[in-house]
Amino acid sequence: MTHLALKNISKQFGDFMAVSDFNLDVKKGEFVSFLGPSGCGKTTTLRMIAGFEIPSSGFITIDGADITNKAPSQRNVGMVFQSYALFPNMTVAQNIGFGLRVRKEKESDVKDRVAEMLSIINLEKKADSFPYQLSGGQMQRVALARALAIRPEVLLLDEPLSALDAKIRISLRAEIRSIQQKLGITAIYVTHDQEEALSLSDRIVVMREGEMDQIGTPFEIYNFPKTVFVANFVGTLNNASAEVVDPVRSLIAIDGVQLESAVDLKDRKKGDKVRVAIRPERFSFASEQKKANVVDCTIENITFLGSIVRIQVMIGKAKFYMDTFNNPFLELPKIGDKDQVTCSKEAVLVLDE
Amino acid sequence: MTQTALNPKVSVPASDWKKWLGVLPFFLFAILFLVLPSLRLIVGSFTNDEGRFTFVNILQLFQEKSILDAYWLSIRISAATALGGGIFGFLLAYSVTVGGLPKPLRSALITFSGVASNFAGVPLAFAFIATLGRTGFVTALVENLFGVNLYKQTNFDLYSFLGLSLTYMYFQFPLMVLIMAPALDGLKREWREAAENLGASTTQYWLRVAFPVLLPSILGSMILLFGNAFGAYATAYALTGGRLGIITIQIGAQIRGDVLHNPGLGYAMAMGMVVIMAVSLVGYSWLQRKTERWLK
Amino acid sequence: MNMLARIRRIPFWSWLWFILGALYFILPLYATLEFSLGMERDVIGFKAYGRAFEDPEFLRTFLYSNVLALLTIIASIILIVPTAYWIRLRLPEARRIVEFITLLPFVVPAIILVFGLIRIYSSPVNIPFTNTTILQPLTTFEVGTDILIVAGYVVLGLPYMYRSVDTGMRTVDVRTLTEAAQSLGASWFTIIVRVILPNIRAALLSGALLTFAIVVGEVTLASFLGVPAFGPYLFLLGQHRAYEPAALSFASFLMTWVVMGLIQLFTGGQGQAAGAH
Repeated sequence: MTHLALKNISKQFGDFMAVSDFNLDVKKGEFVSFLGPSGCGKTTTLRMIAGFEIPSSGFITIDGADITNKAPSQRNVGMVFQSYALFPNMTVAQNIGFGLRVRKEKESDVKDRVAEMLSIINLEKKADSFPYQLSGGQMQRVALARALAIRPEVLLLDEPLSALDAKIRISLRAEIRSIQQKLGITAIYVTHDQEEALSLSDRIVVMREGEMDQIGTPFEIYNFPKTVFVANFVGTLNNASAEVVDPVRSLIAIDGVQLESAVDLKDRKKGDKVRVAIRPERFSFASEQKKANVVDCTIENITFLGSIVRIQVMIGKAKFYMDTFNNPFLELPKIGDKDQVTCSKEAVLVLDE
Repeated sequence: MTQTALNPKVSVPASDWKKWLGVLPFFLFAILFLVLPSLRLIVGSFTNDEGRFTFVNILQLFQEKSILDAYWLSIRISAATALGGGIFGFLLAYSVTVGGLPKPLRSALITFSGVASNFAGVPLAFAFIATLGRTGFVTALVENLFGVNLYKQTNFDLYSFLGLSLTYMYFQFPLMVLIMAPALDGLKREWREAAENLGASTTQYWLRVAFPVLLPSILGSMILLFGNAFGAYATAYALTGGRLGIITIQIGAQIRGDVLHNPGLGYAMAMGMVVIMAVSLVGYSWLQRKTERWLK
Repeated sequence: MNMLARIRRIPFWSWLWFILGALYFILPLYATLEFSLGMERDVIGFKAYGRAFEDPEFLRTFLYSNVLALLTIIASIILIVPTAYWIRLRLPEARRIVEFITLLPFVVPAIILVFGLIRIYSSPVNIPFTNTTILQPLTTFEVGTDILIVAGYVVLGLPYMYRSVDTGMRTVDVRTLTEAAQSLGASWFTIIVRVILPNIRAALLSGALLTFAIVVGEVTLASFLGVPAFGPYLFLLGQHRAYEPAALSFASFLMTWVVMGLIQLFTGGQGQAAGAH
């Protein structure tokens, strides 16, 4: 059953359409990410849920109640800001207790709740420290606790980890997810980092230029992207222009090199221009095992990326990347070699040009 | 040991004391024209007529009523203009930053503040005489509009505590604006949003977050304003011709002609001023450090 | 959005404070201007201005003050730029004490400074508590007094000049510039003259303009040291005349406005305050 719903939400700034016709139904306890590049409207949409922007049209409901025009202080949604926004004149404990004291709760209740939050984020020892004495990761955890302390209906997170070091980001995002699941709280998470979105979310909304490109589980978004943009944005992706050769047998050709796809092409005509996308990790050398598609290619470049070796091949006139796991005993081809690569039908995605 | 002054390509570390040669001219200048004069005054205040060390001058400072009155008057004027200038200056700065007035007004105010804070001294005194003097523009205006002659029917006098304070405000307001505008800019928008998000009203936000964060800045600026007014001489002299006995004017009289007939006491007066200014400076620095720490 | 919402958006209190402030600031200026234009009976004219500017004393003292300002600016730059540069490059340990020194003029305002300067340099210097004397009094030489007042002005301007130059150097990162120039083979002289100075031009200009504004209007040091400067002249004029001082005051306000406007131009709108005299 729907907990948070956005219906036909649009936001216009002068002539600029920041968000257009956004629709979303979120279940209670669900973790939804808004994923997209800068300026795609994800933060604007989040701020509309928080109440810092008023939608130009459409409405927002929580548990059926319309909050579209409610003041931010009346909505009971907790927000975690990108820059933490901790009040510098208050200690950690005072920051966390702020929302409760503003609601005039009993002092003893406030103290209990603050202690509870401190233990959830593991910062009991820092209760009396000031923000300037904390590290970035610690500040973010305090910001999270402050937002959760008021028992919000929905938790909103605006790129909370983008200002942190890579290692801290990874450990902190796991912590955020586990706290969210433990408390069963509905969460909306804005990010431009696709790895974050993929690892944290129940569902991802991929946004571009104010519009929703696709919504689905991480698995769906990654493996079955509906548009070139989504496919490109989420994960590395090879793509090239191609022509439909045989709609019935789902055959397409990239510069004459023919590939069979698992995608239904029956409503296309022979000669249609399409975009073919294949994940680098779906390629392998034909010498190991032959799959449905076997293609001649030339080795252009070999890059060692640690756990992965990325090999650049030319298929026809198109440049493709192939990722294979690093194996110290692997005999890699040399640059200039002619070789054969293979991939399954399912790996060949056909998208609109 | 090669000093790299002649050959910057060879980077040989200079020995410790030679490094300090670079700042020698500066130190020399400071000693000759800042430290030595100050020392002269300090030493002089501990010297009696025979040239020997004594505490008598300092003691007399606290016994001589006219001197104590002068200090007290200066302190009162400085405190009044610091408070008044601080409050109204803050409100002005607030109005063009957080208060939401259009941007061009902000530029105008900042530019004007830069000008007005430099417009002290003789021209300022003349300007206020032309405004609130016996035949001043506003004096006449008040008489024409309300039928009240400021000089005859009220106790008002430009050449008084009130008059001088009003005049001092002309550079105190702008000074406060110039300091507080950046400080108000430093109030992050996210703090307000976070407070709102957690359920706080505008008043609660200002009471619990904004003012506490701004307080060291505001207090520090007021101390700056205090020191500014306390050390002012030219404006007061040009306005009141030495009639208003603030401490700077007393010192001026002493410089000219040893009116106290006691050089040591004169020096002690000057040193007392320096002590008060130094205490203000210490207070200001302490508050500055607090501000910087919070607004990292 | 309806009318009520639109009205509610107008920040009433902000406008109130601003208008009150504007009134307070503009009235004295207007009063001065109006008075200065009233020299000829029943005629609004610039007679007072004409008289004031034609006075030979005005020219003499105004010129003198300008020269003083120029000398002060040059002396300040020669003193401060190498020092700030040296501290940034070689001697960061000196920073705290140098910054402390630049704060001292706040503790020692003009009246106190001139008191000390006169007592030290206008009488043979007595080593305290003993009977030995050194130095001929500086003020017996006319040049001596000029040196004294320029030195005094450099002291008064120290906080602003130093902060301006230091900020300018920090902004352009002189350390890296110097290292780049050194790696390309430049001598120290070349580095300072062709790399450092041009890059801190804006800071130098703004510091110089501020010093200029301070010196030309300065009264305390000038009158106690007895130099023929513009400040004392203006004061004296106020004792004997009514309209000309008003004219000059208004003119000096305009001049300050021009100077500060130039500073704004060069610093991009930060605003500088010199405080009271």
